[in-house]
Amino acid sequence: MSFTSMGEAHRRIADFLNRFSEAVSTQDGASLKSLLSVSSNSSLLLSLADDLNLYQDWSRLVKQAERNSHTLGEILVPHLRCVQSYRSGRFVEAYAAFEKSANAFLQEFRNWETAWAVEAMHVVAHEIRILAELADKELASLGKNPEKLQGAGSFLMKVFGSLAGKGPKRVGALYVTCQLFKAYFKLGTVHLCRSVIRSIETAKFFDFEEFPSSDKVTYMYYTGRLEVYNENFVAADQKLTYALMHCNSRHEANLRMILKYLIPVKLSIGILPKMSLLDKFHLTEYTNIVKALKQGDLRLLRRALQEHEDQFLRTGVYLVLEKLELQVYQRLVKKIYIFQKQKDPSKAHQIKLDVIVKALKWLEIDMDVDEVECMMAILIYKNLMKGYFAHKSKVVVLSKQEPFPKLNGKPVSS
Amino acid sequence: MWTQHAEPELGNSRAELDDGRTKPGMPRPSSGAGTGLDGSRAKLDDPRAELSFCVKNVFFLCSKRTRTKTENERSLAVSSYLNKNTNETLQRRAVRKSESARITEEQSGRQTFCRTLSSNEVHSSDLRPPPVLRNTLKYLLDLMISSEHPFEIIHDFVFDRTRSIRQDLSIQNIIDEHAIEMYEKMVEFHIISHLKLAKSHSDPDNLSLHYLNMEQLTKCLLSLYEIYDLNRIPEFVIKKENEFHSFYVLHLELSLIQMKIWLTRLSALIVRLSVICFVFRIFIYFRMGNYKRFFAILAMEASQLQLRLIEPFLNEVRVQALSCINHSGYKLQPYPLELLAELLMIKEDELESLCCECGLQIITDELGCKLVPAKQSNFHHPKSDLESYSLTTPVKFHSLDCGDRYLEGVMLEERMMVVAVLMKESIIEFSG
Repeated sequence: MSFTSMGEAHRRIADFLNRFSEAVSTQDGASLKSLLSVSSNSSLLLSLADDLNLYQDWSRLVKQAERNSHTLGEILVPHLRCVQSYRSGRFVEAYAAFEKSANAFLQEFRNWETAWAVEAMHVVAHEIRILAELADKELASLGKNPEKLQGAGSFLMKVFGSLAGKGPKRVGALYVTCQLFKAYFKLGTVHLCRSVIRSIETAKFFDFEEFPSSDKVTYMYYTGRLEVYNENFVAADQKLTYALMHCNSRHEANLRMILKYLIPVKLSIGILPKMSLLDKFHLTEYTNIVKALKQGDLRLLRRALQEHEDQFLRTGVYLVLEKLELQVYQRLVKKIYIFQKQKDPSKAHQIKLDVIVKALKWLEIDMDVDEVECMMAILIYKNLMKGYFAHKSKVVVLSKQEPFPKLNGKPVSS
Repeated sequence: MWTQHAEPELGNSRAELDDGRTKPGMPRPSSGAGTGLDGSRAKLDDPRAELSFCVKNVFFLCSKRTRTKTENERSLAVSSYLNKNTNETLQRRAVRKSESARITEEQSGRQTFCRTLSSNEVHSSDLRPPPVLRNTLKYLLDLMISSEHPFEIIHDFVFDRTRSIRQDLSIQNIIDEHAIEMYEKMVEFHIISHLKLAKSHSDPDNLSLHYLNMEQLTKCLLSLYEIYDLNRIPEFVIKKENEFHSFYVLHLELSLIQMKIWLTRLSALIVRLSVICFVFRIFIYFRMGNYKRFFAILAMEASQLQLRLIEPFLNEVRVQALSCINHSGYKLQPYPLELLAELLMIKEDELESLCCECGLQIITDELGCKLVPAKQSNFHHPKSDLESYSLTTPVKFHSLDCGDRYLEGVMLEERMMVVAVLMKESIIEFSG
């Protein structure tokens, strides 16, 4: 190690500390946030980490800088430790340090009356989540309990609390909400989203239109996904469509993510996407499902579900798509009806259950007459067909008027 | 400090526990588990005496500090079970619990309840080593098999102590195959309790027990899954893991959102295995209302424990089927009750009772066959909690209930599990 390198390291560390202090004293949020984003792998922070490793007595420099503000030291010391640990790939250590720094930062943030540091706070919120995820991966690989993201969630709730109020900082609340959503979705504890959603949607000091557009899109995307989980398809359609319409058209990856959830929702309410849309956004996993719905091909639907099972399970839409089976049955029976109508219009409305059994056999689906009767009963019960089934005669009798009602933007009745 | 064998301490400490009460000779748990920890033999004359014996033996499986603490603070776990009238309602017992806890709090400045210690209070001497925990659990589960005592009392007692065992496992971070075995057994305990408590739902006191049991079942399952994950070797599945994964969704009473979250978190390895496929299909048929497939697949593929979990809401599916048939059927062609009972895998007389609960009238034709006409306007969902009717098979027409022998279904059950072909490798697992 050359004396020159040590000197350079000393100078750069001192320079960083000055920049931090300056940003706070001049209330320069934009400068401050670049100093906080540990996971951005910016050249500034990467070289800072190397300098910290070289100049090991850096805490003394912080103490010197602390002369003007003691509290900054409480933010900076763990922050620099975090930068060091992150660079070395020690993410558990990095997270622990960052959490300490973040809490100290939040304490200061609460005292700043204007909204100048909201962007910096957002960076802290983002970083704590990212570092927590990395730390949890490290813990899991060591056979330990991954609990850092849960802790990050608690911190984010505190941040949300500091933004929820009448003051100017409130416009930052939706961003933190979205960070919470990401954490909760990752943890699988989506029920915890309820309380923040309630705050955003009912608290009088929040005006949804005031929030930045990008935050609104992200919010609608996640709340739309929650509606998909709960199979509230009408609400899911509204929210995901909002996200789609307001998402920047250049952000194709985001549009694709929205469509991944919106398409199953649309299918559930009887609206089919064009094949060109599926091709444009590489959503070909839905191609055969759309075809199956159009053709009444139950075999094709089941094959499509099986082929992309992993993907659909991971995204949580498998059960939504599986439910489309009823609509495929409806389409199949309708085709039989149309065929019979062509042969003999006077008898078209009476379909023998054996005929349906045969049609399913052609599709390589083994179903006995009892089960077909059960399915017909369900279709009628859920208003996908109008009519009745006669058990003794083993026949389903369809209404002569609109025997196959359309969904018209509403889901199949439960 | 702990020793592997508790016997040397027993003689001295019995006097502390006696507390001036007379104790007749005590029986062993009826499973015949060993000679009893204090080596005594007892007669089965007095149920309370027998229970007192069991309590004392479990008590000696606790650390000395805990015994002293519990003894001094007159913790409920000992005093209530030694003293109480077994006919006492749970409500009154709950009142006594809070009174006891209050006394404890006043005396010691801390609230203790049974043997659950807060992490701040843990001393190394409090922690029981794995062999002791295993013995304790075995003892508790053997106690469940002895059927002389009211179930609620035994359940309450075992419930508290299994929580304590889990606490010990967690604090000591025991995550090996022995921990898996213990957690699996505790899950089984909660499942059996779930069924028994669900059957006595009409008793309001049991409702809280039921919910508490469900809560602990969830916690126990989640802990078990974490340990499965920590012990995972790539391309191999821990022996009973897939079945225990299936319990999570089944015990959630097929809640939609939880099912979806559960599915997203299963590894691809697990999701293709037959038992998980089974659970998945059950859930799908349940959602669709496909009663025909639902019952058929249940009869063919469900394990005994799975059946026990699912039994409390078989009637929900049956009621839904009746609703569907009543709505969609032809009025002039009523449904034969016998055939419907076969489809819904229920005894004919039980189905008739169920129809009555739903406001459906049964008619009889000229040949004496009972029929259920469709389009009855009086149909309604049952107003009160339904009696649970178990599954029948079309061939045998008898209940699949395997009696009250705790763990019998699990002990005897050996299943051959189907291959899961994943990507490049095949995994074949045989059990038994």
